Amino acid sequence: MPFDASALLIQLFSGLSRAMMLFLLSAGLSLIFGVMNILNFAHATLWLLAGYVTYSFYSFLTGIAGPFGLLLVPAIVAATAVMFGVGWMLERFIIRRMYQRELPEQVLLTFALILIISDVIKLGWGVENRRIFLPIEPMEIMGSYVSPYLFVIIISGMVVAGGLWWFLQRTRYGRIVRAAVFSREMVSALGINIPNIYAGVFGMGVAIAAFCAGLFLGIMPIGLGVDMDMIIQCFAVVVIGGFGSILGTFVASIIVGVVYAFSILVWPDGSLAIIFLILVGVLIWRPWGLFGTEMRF
Amino acid sequence: MNNATKRGFWLRLYQTYGLTGPVSLVLGVAFLLVPLLPGEFPTIVAAEILILGLFAMSFNLIYGYMGQITFGHAAFFGVGAYSTALLMRALQSPVGQVGYLDFFLSLLIAMPVSALCALVVGYFCVRLTGIYFALLSLAFGELLYYLVFSWYSFTKGDDGIQGIMPPGIFSEVVNYYYLVLIVVAGCTVLLWRITNSPFGYTLRMIRDNQRRAVFLGINVRLVMLANFVLAGAFAGVAGALWGPFQRSVSPFLLGWVQSGMAVFMSLIGGAGFLTGPLVGSAIYTFLNAYITQFTVYWPLTIGLIILFLVLYLPGGVLSLLDKRLSPLKHHDYLPEDAAPEAARSGESS
Repeated sequence: MPFDASALLIQLFSGLSRAMMLFLLSAGLSLIFGVMNILNFAHATLWLLAGYVTYSFYSFLTGIAGPFGLLLVPAIVAATAVMFGVGWMLERFIIRRMYQRELPEQVLLTFALILIISDVIKLGWGVENRRIFLPIEPMEIMGSYVSPYLFVIIISGMVVAGGLWWFLQRTRYGRIVRAAVFSREMVSALGINIPNIYAGVFGMGVAIAAFCAGLFLGIMPIGLGVDMDMIIQCFAVVVIGGFGSILGTFVASIIVGVVYAFSILVWPDGSLAIIFLILVGVLIWRPWGLFGTEMRF
Repeated sequence: MNNATKRGFWLRLYQTYGLTGPVSLVLGVAFLLVPLLPGEFPTIVAAEILILGLFAMSFNLIYGYMGQITFGHAAFFGVGAYSTALLMRALQSPVGQVGYLDFFLSLLIAMPVSALCALVVGYFCVRLTGIYFALLSLAFGELLYYLVFSWYSFTKGDDGIQGIMPPGIFSEVVNYYYLVLIVVAGCTVLLWRITNSPFGYTLRMIRDNQRRAVFLGINVRLVMLANFVLAGAFAGVAGALWGPFQRSVSPFLLGWVQSGMAVFMSLIGGAGFLTGPLVGSAIYTFLNAYITQFTVYWPLTIGLIILFLVLYLPGGVLSLLDKRLSPLKHHDYLPEDAAPEAARSGESS
């Protein structure tokens, strides 16, 4: 394994793109937990569903217009919109009944959703892996080749992170969402329709995951079972960053993504073990995460 | 007359031991008779029910009695399975045979190894409560999972370890089944003694009001740690039985999906009862084994059933039964929150 500068640089880019994927997936998880106190184990399965939906839109569009990589953009937009609706409906009809329940029952419910959604995927798309091959030429950086698509992922992730921050901090709806975290009753007393806000936040979380799934599809194959690996890494990210903290989730994604990419050079098989070692360390040292709010136990 | 004595017997059993009495008696007799059913399949399913039921009961020691939820409990199940499998591997002859003594030695090793593992994990976990307890146990569980997954030279990685044959008479399904039944029944009795000892009541106090327990001078962390280790040890026993039953072990035994199984077996059956997880295991495993014969979409079917149970039957199957029977209890006093409910169902019946 050559440890020269260009290899390290490429590993850094691949780590950062992985980090942005993790961030996009974890942001929804963290947001949903932060606002509604629901630990959604089915988040990555919804992400997987979104991947298949994107794939279908993309195949449909290329079927009409011929193979053209940029068609992934409208496909992602359409899938994101569809998944927002799916998330909204899911909150409206199922998740809504679980707010007063205890954590294990929520887990059981989202577990049931995992089973149901994966079978819906199996029914709709079969069991083969799906992937979109984009006609992109790798570009040269210091003698090594890297796909420019990695930069698309990194930039998209950062744009969404910024947009999410702007939404939560600077817009009226963002302020309402943040206020609802602290006092549901007060916000409700001000005449704001809390159930709609919750459905919207859930839909938004799923939509961000859907955006992530579309990006993911351009670089890696998806298939049943990938969601199980992803959700567990998402938990790592969200816990390291601190539940409900978007900034924390962002920083933790970068830590996890980059550490993962570099540990592949050192100990390929144990990369995930290293991530969970970090997670255990953080939980012992600061159980509320790097950017979470300290609380007493 | 005969009918009345019969009813009196069940009533006395219920009044003395709660729901655990009649449920264990019915389950015990049913499990003894399962091998009489035609074919090997029911026996195999029943063995699976028993092993996973023990695993779920050990989980419920932490959830139902201590009030903390863990998503990493399968790690101890897996560690137990792997320690038995690895030792059997080491002790067996070149043709793959293992002696009786070596076999029982391999089964016995699982308990202390899992307990030791649980001691290390639990030492850190019991400092936290609630969701942080759950997530730290999940993190440790996944750490162990990935260690087993990637330590190829020791654990054979994701290939798992195959060809773990129990020796001589135990290679027959029926005989192995009775071994499983004896071990699980023994463990259930032990668990009953533990949960109804002063230690068990201390656990319940910690569950209901941790602060009060601290004021009474109880070393809460120590009690919780002891319980965590006990739960790990029993999960290890279940794991030890699993390897020779399936003839193989794989890292997925340690994964969070396996832990999730214990969570929902406990909840389906009724986490408030000792035998609840066993009933949950019976329901889940039975559905799993028989739905697959009718449809390839069994996750969908099971998912919908779980969804229905969570939404409309919180407290599990046994709590439904208990609610119907509770007017028959001779209480010297009724807890305040239980009284109106008992009165209401008394009127309806």
